Amino acid sequence: MIAQYVLNGFVSGMILALPAIGLTLVYGILKFPNFAFGAMMTAGAYIALILNVNFGLSLLWSAALAAVIFAMIAVVIDQTVFRQLRDRDSITLLVCSMGVSFVLENIARFIFGNAARSFDLVIARPKYILGLKVNNEQIITAIIALAAMAAVYFILRHTALGRAMRAVADNPALAAVRGVRRENIICWTWVIAGSLTAIAGVLAGMDRAIDPMLGWNYIVSTFAAAILGGLGNPVGAVIGALAVGIVEETSTLIIPPNYRQAMSFLVIALLLLMRPQGLLGVATIKK
Amino acid sequence: MSAGDFILQTKDVAAGYGGGDIISNVSVDVESGKIFTVIGPNGSGKSTFIKVLAGLLRPRVGGITIGDEQIAKLSAPERVAKGVAYVPQEYNVFANLTINENLRLSTEFLKRNRQATDEQRSRVLEMFPEVGSRLTLKAGYLSGGQRQMLAFACAMMAAPVVLLLDEPSAGLAPKFVSEIFDRIKAVNETGLTVVMIEQNVKEALRIADNVMVLVNGSPRLFVPAAEIGSHDLHKLFLG
Repeated sequence: MIAQYVLNGFVSGMILALPAIGLTLVYGILKFPNFAFGAMMTAGAYIALILNVNFGLSLLWSAALAAVIFAMIAVVIDQTVFRQLRDRDSITLLVCSMGVSFVLENIARFIFGNAARSFDLVIARPKYILGLKVNNEQIITAIIALAAMAAVYFILRHTALGRAMRAVADNPALAAVRGVRRENIICWTWVIAGSLTAIAGVLAGMDRAIDPMLGWNYIVSTFAAAILGGLGNPVGAVIGALAVGIVEETSTLIIPPNYRQAMSFLVIALLLLMRPQGLLGVATIKK
Repeated sequence: MSAGDFILQTKDVAAGYGGGDIISNVSVDVESGKIFTVIGPNGSGKSTFIKVLAGLLRPRVGGITIGDEQIAKLSAPERVAKGVAYVPQEYNVFANLTINENLRLSTEFLKRNRQATDEQRSRVLEMFPEVGSRLTLKAGYLSGGQRQMLAFACAMMAAPVVLLLDEPSAGLAPKFVSEIFDRIKAVNETGLTVVMIEQNVKEALRIADNVMVLVNGSPRLFVPAAEIGSHDLHKLFLG
């Protein structure tokens, strides 16, 4: 029975991992926690919903197109909102991202209303693997999330863009005198973060009903995942997301499911007490 | 000497942070293939001056030319493309990237052809053999002297026409200091122009061709390094 909860938690963690990577990438390069990622997930889910339900595309194609479309929207948001405040402190940008979140959420509410909607999915019987019940949505979630994570890992480790992103996150002034244009890197960071959160929105929409508050359900857990892994560290974000997913899911063995997000708060609190820099973060001394 | 002999020139440059200017009326002519050293007391504006040359700080007024090209309004990455390489005093390598990644990143955004880049890399690794011997090591694990060598190597990867050095001996163990200056001289002997600011006046003057003494943000003296002995530096520094 516990194994079933661990499996479910692992899949939930996969959904959390994508926005957690996006959050941590934006934090690493722009040095602010982007509170808008929840609303970005919602927007991604609605874009895929239109493509899937109104245009009749398969969910896979809908997710891929939603990722591309929302990547462009994320760049537009950056250029029109965050770029104007580029050199402001992180609190200003955090508050600004809250504003972006409310705007996106209310655009969704204005267009689609408050009613819950769902993707046009074929209902399939769950499979049993090693005695564990695995439904079709969980398999799709795991495959898409793993593919997205592998793509991000490849970009960060094996491409010029990835090296430049890590360099800008490490030392923007040095990156500039090595010929790296920070604005270009910021633009690509939003492309990656935007597409990851949009895909996460689609996966979340498979797991629960799509409504304007969809992304809010993931905000605390995603922050917990990113902080647990060490803000700014994408690999840490994945490990943190899987850990939070499993802890939240298994906690429902002893506490009511409605309170499972409280476990995320507990994880953050314990971690900040014992290892403030996160699991894979590097401790720094502020002079 | 004609203007064509000068690779880097500044004209009445003034710059600072926020409201006030830290340097003002700085006009220099740097001869091609020479080592131009800027010395001065703490707070004289040496670091500000070299940051203005590198493009990390825009001059409020004044002009900067490389050859015949005006670069004062260009950003730091655009100046790298024009042949200006800069080695900062500290945090001069990417600690979370490997040595190889540090080297690669130095040319990846310069739109150079691959063959030229590969040839330059071979030259650089020949010049800095200690860098090439552990390419997969993260730069964060290197000692101060080794980081400085890697930072030089990265700057050289861009095949610059002018190398800007911000206190290359700062924070280094004494045994590395002479080695660093010998290496700068060796790099300069390949024909590269070097502009260096330095607190270690004795070592800096050992390899310099020309010297500017900067005091309170303004040039106090321009002189060939060989003639600096005839001036009382203490008096110049203290005003």
